[in-house]
Amino acid sequence: MTTSAVDPIKFEVIRNALTQAAEEMAIALRRSAYSTNVKTRQDFSCAFFDKDLRSVAQAFTQPVHLGSFVRHVPIAVKRYGPENLGPGDMILSNDPYGGGVHLNDISLIGPVYYGDRLVGYTACLAHHVDVGGGAPASVGAFREVFQEGIIIPPIKFVNKGVLDDDLFRLVLSQIRSKRETSGDFRAQIASNRTGALRIIEIIDRYGIDEFEHYIDEIIEYTDRRTRVEVAKLPKGVFTAEGFVDNDGFTDEVVKLAVKITIDDDGVRFDTTGSDPQRRAPVNSTFAQTYSACAYALRALMDRDLPVNDGFYRYVHVEAPEGTVTNCVHPAPVVGGWETHVRLNDLIFEALSPAMPDAVCAGTKSMQCHAGFGGENHETGEYYCFLETLAGGYGGRSTSDGPDAVQSHGQNTENAPIEETESNYPVRITRYELVPDSEGPGEFRGGLGLRRDYMFPEEATFTILADRDKFGPRGLFDGEHGGKSVYAVIKDGNEEHLSSKTTVQLQPGEIISYRTSGGGGYGSPFKRDPQAIFEDVSQGKISHDRARERYGVEIDPETNQINEKATKELRSGC
Amino acid sequence: MAASETGGNTDGGSQITDPIQFEVVRSALTQVAEEMAAALRRSAYSTNVKTRQDFSCAFFDRNGRPISQAFTQPVHLGSFVELIPTSIKTYGVENLDPGDMLVVNNPFGGGSHLNDVTVFGPVHHNGELVGYVASLAHHVDVGGGAPASIGPFQEIFQEGIIIPPVKLVKKGEMNEDVFKLILAQIRSKRVTTGDFRAQVAANTVGARRLVDLVEKYGVADFDHYVAAVVDYTDRRTRAEIANIPDGVYGTTGFLDYDGFSDKVVNLKVEITVKGETVFFDFDGCDPQRRAPVNSTKAMTFSACAYALRALMAPDMPVNEGFYRHIKMNAKPGTVVHAVHPAPVVGGWETQVRINDMLFKAFAPGMPTKIAASTKAMMAQAGFGIIDSENGEYHCNYEALAGGYGARATSDGPDAVQQHGQNTENAPVEEVESHFPMRVSRLSLIEDSEGPGKFRGGLGMRRDYHFPNDPATFTVLSDRDLVGPQGIFGGMAGRKAYYILNPGSPTEEQSELTSKCVVELKPGDTVSFQTPGGGGYGPPEEREPAAVLKDVVGGKISRQRARDLYGVVIDEETNVVDESATTKARTELTSSRNSN
Amino acid sequence: MTASTTEGRFRIGVDIGGTFTDGTLVDSATGEVTTSKVLSTPSQPAQGFISAVEKLLKINDSVTPGAVEHVVHATTVATNAIIEGKTAKTAFVTTEGFRDMLEIARQIRPSLYDLQFEKPAPLVPRQLCFEVPERLDAKGEVVTPLDEQALKNVVDQIAAADVEAVAVCLLHSYRNPDHEQRVRDAIIAKLPHVIISISSDVVPEFREYLRASTTVINSSVAPIVSTYLKSISEKLHAAGVTSELLVMQSSGGVYPAEAASENPVFMVESGPAAGAVAAASLGTALGHPNVISFDMGGTTAKASLIRNGKPNITKDYSVGGAAQSGTGAFGGASGYPIRTPVVDLVEIGAGGGSVAWVDSGGALRVGPHSAGADPGPVCYGLGGEQPTITDANLVLGRLDPNYFAGGEMSLNLEAATEAIRKQCAEPLGLTVEEAAHGIVEIANTAMVNALRLVSVQRGHDPRDFMLIGFGGAGPAHAVRLAEQAGIPRVLIPLGPGTASALGLLVTDVRMEGSATLIVRSDEIELSIIANEFDRLENAGLEAHKAAASASGAPEFERTIEMRYWGQSFELSVPAPENTNIDQAWMDELIESFHEAHEKAYGFRAIDEPVELVNLRLTTIGKITRPQMRKLDNVGTDASVASKGHRPVYFAENSGEKGTLQTPVFDRSQLPAGAVFTGPAIIEEPDCTTVIHPGWTVTVDAYGNLGVELNS
Repeated sequence: MTTSAVDPIKFEVIRNALTQAAEEMAIALRRSAYSTNVKTRQDFSCAFFDKDLRSVAQAFTQPVHLGSFVRHVPIAVKRYGPENLGPGDMILSNDPYGGGVHLNDISLIGPVYYGDRLVGYTACLAHHVDVGGGAPASVGAFREVFQEGIIIPPIKFVNKGVLDDDLFRLVLSQIRSKRETSGDFRAQIASNRTGALRIIEIIDRYGIDEFEHYIDEIIEYTDRRTRVEVAKLPKGVFTAEGFVDNDGFTDEVVKLAVKITIDDDGVRFDTTGSDPQRRAPVNSTFAQTYSACAYALRALMDRDLPVNDGFYRYVHVEAPEGTVTNCVHPAPVVGGWETHVRLNDLIFEALSPAMPDAVCAGTKSMQCHAGFGGENHETGEYYCFLETLAGGYGGRSTSDGPDAVQSHGQNTENAPIEETESNYPVRITRYELVPDSEGPGEFRGGLGLRRDYMFPEEATFTILADRDKFGPRGLFDGEHGGKSVYAVIKDGNEEHLSSKTTVQLQPGEIISYRTSGGGGYGSPFKRDPQAIFEDVSQGKISHDRARERYGVEIDPETNQINEKATKELRSGC
Repeated sequence: MAASETGGNTDGGSQITDPIQFEVVRSALTQVAEEMAAALRRSAYSTNVKTRQDFSCAFFDRNGRPISQAFTQPVHLGSFVELIPTSIKTYGVENLDPGDMLVVNNPFGGGSHLNDVTVFGPVHHNGELVGYVASLAHHVDVGGGAPASIGPFQEIFQEGIIIPPVKLVKKGEMNEDVFKLILAQIRSKRVTTGDFRAQVAANTVGARRLVDLVEKYGVADFDHYVAAVVDYTDRRTRAEIANIPDGVYGTTGFLDYDGFSDKVVNLKVEITVKGETVFFDFDGCDPQRRAPVNSTKAMTFSACAYALRALMAPDMPVNEGFYRHIKMNAKPGTVVHAVHPAPVVGGWETQVRINDMLFKAFAPGMPTKIAASTKAMMAQAGFGIIDSENGEYHCNYEALAGGYGARATSDGPDAVQQHGQNTENAPVEEVESHFPMRVSRLSLIEDSEGPGKFRGGLGMRRDYHFPNDPATFTVLSDRDLVGPQGIFGGMAGRKAYYILNPGSPTEEQSELTSKCVVELKPGDTVSFQTPGGGGYGPPEEREPAAVLKDVVGGKISRQRARDLYGVVIDEETNVVDESATTKARTELTSSRNSN
Repeated sequence: MTASTTEGRFRIGVDIGGTFTDGTLVDSATGEVTTSKVLSTPSQPAQGFISAVEKLLKINDSVTPGAVEHVVHATTVATNAIIEGKTAKTAFVTTEGFRDMLEIARQIRPSLYDLQFEKPAPLVPRQLCFEVPERLDAKGEVVTPLDEQALKNVVDQIAAADVEAVAVCLLHSYRNPDHEQRVRDAIIAKLPHVIISISSDVVPEFREYLRASTTVINSSVAPIVSTYLKSISEKLHAAGVTSELLVMQSSGGVYPAEAASENPVFMVESGPAAGAVAAASLGTALGHPNVISFDMGGTTAKASLIRNGKPNITKDYSVGGAAQSGTGAFGGASGYPIRTPVVDLVEIGAGGGSVAWVDSGGALRVGPHSAGADPGPVCYGLGGEQPTITDANLVLGRLDPNYFAGGEMSLNLEAATEAIRKQCAEPLGLTVEEAAHGIVEIANTAMVNALRLVSVQRGHDPRDFMLIGFGGAGPAHAVRLAEQAGIPRVLIPLGPGTASALGLLVTDVRMEGSATLIVRSDEIELSIIANEFDRLENAGLEAHKAAASASGAPEFERTIEMRYWGQSFELSVPAPENTNIDQAWMDELIESFHEAHEKAYGFRAIDEPVELVNLRLTTIGKITRPQMRKLDNVGTDASVASKGHRPVYFAENSGEKGTLQTPVFDRSQLPAGAVFTGPAIIEEPDCTTVIHPGWTVTVDAYGNLGVELNS
């Protein structure tokens, strides 16, 4: 048969096989990984790129990698030179100024050869819990990228199937949690190998020509579907402005601006008007900004649209160099996620008038990094831990924002307390919702959550988050969600901390991390009293708050809604 | 010397030590190191290497024993000794091919601070290993928390790239991926690239010359004379130690504070000299801190090596035969022997202070050989600045001079390096042509000397001004609470000052601590003022003519001459008023005795 | 003007050394050479100078003073003034904030382990260091304008201090001399008789302290040098010698006495340079442009390398500094750096008088202490008790106890033998001969290292060179040094004892001019290079006039000092032949720089930008070389010069050690064309040449001894 024809069965089989290959890469990575952040929180992604470095199949757990990963891989390969890569080679890279994001996200990329013919690349990205630098877990308030950990330009980490010991040792020496990290690196190698094997199997079955032909088809397919989805979007220009509360060194808010232009050839995002980059943890690399836009667009489309090159070609991002949305060397980037995720929120805000039903009110919209580390007195080993906490989601046109969930590009699991405590010298003394933290609205925002960490030994703790000045905005007369609170508790006394800081803890001291609630959607007075009643009886909202913010009076004795009082309260305005 | 002493006579005639050939080989070996040093310096890029000469070169025998060294910097004395053999062991000698070179800076594998990066490689002759050539250079930036990689850090991970022994050169070819990875961590990429190339060039030159030597004498003779050179130094070292009066010499000292807390850092040493042996015991020094005050074992070793060496005949060649006599006890986990993951860049402050203490300890035993307290701090100034014209990230590192301690028969020289440190001052015109900044003042500090029969040297002031671009400036130093002490009745020198925007309106002016990183805005100035040296003997015994000379030269004010030296100088005629002076001096002496 | 060179036929060269003042007179027509040796008179050197001249004219009475074409002089008067601290009272003027530049110097110590070290005392005391408010940036642009009023006050203070000279060094004046020139003019206006040097004139190169030091040296010795030169020209006139007086520069070349009086810093190393120049010219004349010059006298030995007939030139040098090797760090700190070109020679404390001793480690050591001329070696019998190299050579039979200084003095062999036995042989368990031989060998080793410093360390293989050995003690060691350094050819010139003075007479007039660029090759406007070279050429022509009568029409040498952008040490690269400066010219230049760098340091960085630092233009007035005179006495048989045999100890050639019956020759009787093999001793009044076994001597047409290793 001629390869130009498309057999719908074969098409579907090959498409699924490719996705399956990516999925298996993910499984291999997760199963063989050491760090909680990878094996449990699943902070990684895997993908297959064709020989022209077009993304074909992806297995994500983390949408934040959606844009960043697919930008980084082609740039890294071109920088190293495809001609310098042979069978069994793999290059390592995390360079923020070579298409990367923050230093913790390290990509490993290997060419796939069928015989002596290059057929594509398997690549996986993992968020390594520590990559050295100024604070354990490599998160913190830094002023330059040099302070954030090891910067890895594309280097040949695996040579003809053999790990380069010199490079491995050199990378590892910069890293605090050496044992876990070396395990995660090996897992990445395993992942790429698995992917390559699967790809080769597919080619064995269909032959190279068919294989390449159907890759084109798969991309064209996504292109077709994306075009249809884009056509459904409201045409026009939509703008919004917002900010990150502070930059970690000054209280000056960091202004963000976005302008979205939607027409037939796709969606253009323009962040002109955002603040200049700072010597502070608030700078997004272009890849991070691109990723925010890609995610937002993807979120507005049909759930089962397979993402590949055919989708990305509709995402156009204009981010002026030297701004917090496209920082240039040597700006620090780890804080960029705060900017990135806030940008997500802004995009939805901008689109809300045009697609009120598709968007939600302000969410947590911050990464909420909690990183800590120190020397484990038992093992004498240096341990590091990183997690990002959930918060309240924004209310939607027909439903409340869920309590304590991840938002937007972020979808990492919470680390099980038992796992954390069995691996690290820390005790989680509280893990609960924060009552009254929701943003009131006809559909209220979700509640924020509280997680308290108690350290029996000396430790270093880093908070890299935001929202301690302003809660997530409400939408259509909905109210703001509750602000975050970060505090250190020393023998009972609580002392507030900034949203971007690193502190030294003495044995017994506690860090209390309380994330913001989601913004409300629609006027609170329109909220169904029954729903309030539920919230109050569940203790999520207090009687007083119900009365003052929602105009709903609930009698403490009878535990009944006082219809009369409620009516008065609500008609009162 | 008799052949038997060299212990190497295994295979017949060629193994007899001929004193003549011995001397020939010995100077040839020194020459190897010297030629390496010349090549390194002349082809280097950074001011710190090419001008300040912050580097050293050496040859090691096939067992990793140091044989000949060319330093400009004695602080490197100890840095090599353990680093090379340890690194060879870690990497595995079997993994080293001809033409390979390793690069290493691991502080906990025998190194010092991360900036001191050593490149070394095996030398082969007809495929047979004959030794190693090594060059160490202080790289101006190795990444990490602040430009120039110095600052108040709390962990090694914040100080820059940590390099375990890895191959920088493979069979004569640069190992590009390793090189790329190292450079990626470094701010000042262009100069650092040049400096690494220069180190490789130096080793290449050294290896070439060694092979010539081996060709000339044959491997057996070469080895034999290498061993003989070590034995020779060994004999001389023992003879020299024997010259130090037996006894126990002890003293204590401290660093003003650690950069994070005001707690002084306590140091203590007890030196036992007995016959041909000397033992340095550092029991009683404070535990290491999460602060820039931790010396690595190698740094502390260097301090001991330097002090001992300084008490010996100046012409004695330093090699394994000398080092083997330095026995010390520095408990792991203390500020004199930091363990992972302690920060170490601040360790130099501890290291030089120990040097000062060692001499102070020896003072009673050899009062005429030692000096009063010197600057005894590294006085490190680092800054980083991004050139607004071309976007290049520049880093600069300097260690500034201070007043030297007075000696039994002479004044302490003004503004000079001390102890293990002998780096030059970067020429103002050179730094200004490399970096978008200005040195607005470089001068002696008047009245900063420690008064004494022989006075301490004057401290030095260097003002860094940043007219156009914001910059990051680091002070990593000490002595801003207490100046260097005097000895035998001499007085202390002026303490150090670190001042932001001196002489400007008070709201912009402020005193910085001795261990800090500051973000400067365009137009800011940092004034780095080092201490004066301590005095030797009572000031009122100082030769009035000498005091007069200082007053005329404007180094000491009339007022100070009268108040502290009791020398009265006539305003008009500029001559010493004899009678007034005698009077003033008797008063000084009596007031001294009274309290 | 070339006509004038044929007018008078005679040239006189006078070289004042530590012990002796040598005079040489050459008949440029016949090449006949007359030499004289008189004791130096350090108190007033002019005296020794003139008596050497008078002695020459007495010895060769056919010469009328009027027929002397010119007189060339090499002197250490400037160096001595510095070393003995007898420089003129000088003031120093610099930019506000940097008054202590000379005090702080390089902030390093001359010796690492010496707790009693001293920094060299500044040549200008602090009270004579003045500041003027003004500032340029590194591009030469004005940051703070020169404060005329403040300048006036400074000038008044200088006037009050009543100094003989003033040195001015303002920051970045190498880029823009305007402020320095205005300071100079202000001082001249008030103090017309004071000598003033400004750094942008003396040495317009960056690094303020090095430039200031050079400038201070220049002005502080100028009064002394000019007075001295004035007095000798007066004495010459009195003696009827009215011709041009030229002075040897540290870099080779000679320049007119007037120029020397103004810029004496160019002649501080006048003396040593002469020897190197002599070797260069002799080598060239005999068709050996690549030679290593080895000049060994009573207290020191000097080695320098000559390539293509030119001595190597360095600018990394300190007056009164310890011998520099390797990084030069110590030498730099122990003396006063100068950045004017100096013949690159390594001088070490190994001379006939160097003392041998056994140290506490049981090693036999030689030098650096020297018994000098008083008490001198043990064998002189003048009270010397420590054995010296001369004693060792005597014990080995290499010197004839009864023919020292042509027999004017006899040496005490027994005393020398005893000293070596007691102080060296017995402690080491060696025989007296072995010990004596060891002393010589160790001294040789040090000298071989000196040879290496000037060759290997500069990237040249000594085996490609011919060694020229001269000076009182040179010929006794040259052949053995060659053997150790692997040099196959040695030349012992005629009259080795006074060869340096001869060098003065074969030197061209050379005047250096330089311009600072400091610009990257990819950013420079080519026209600038052309214009600067033109400017320098005109200045050169002007300067040459003073020496016009003594030399031929001016010629020019153009070199460019270059480095990789970011380095601070330049390599000097000759300008491409083609004088039309276009891109091709630049490409050629850059390529030759890459080559030079690779040769020196083993790598080229093609991807790095190249920086042009200085343009140098040397104006040369050629001096016609005097004819070398052929020997009348021709023949292959050396035995006509035989003085019989004597036992001499040799042990070098790894075979049999021991005493060989060795033929002794009288050099004055050796015929041109004579050939004989080592071992052999060749004697002449002021020195002895030792030929080791395995070498063959051929006497050339002019009486030079060509010594070659038997193949």
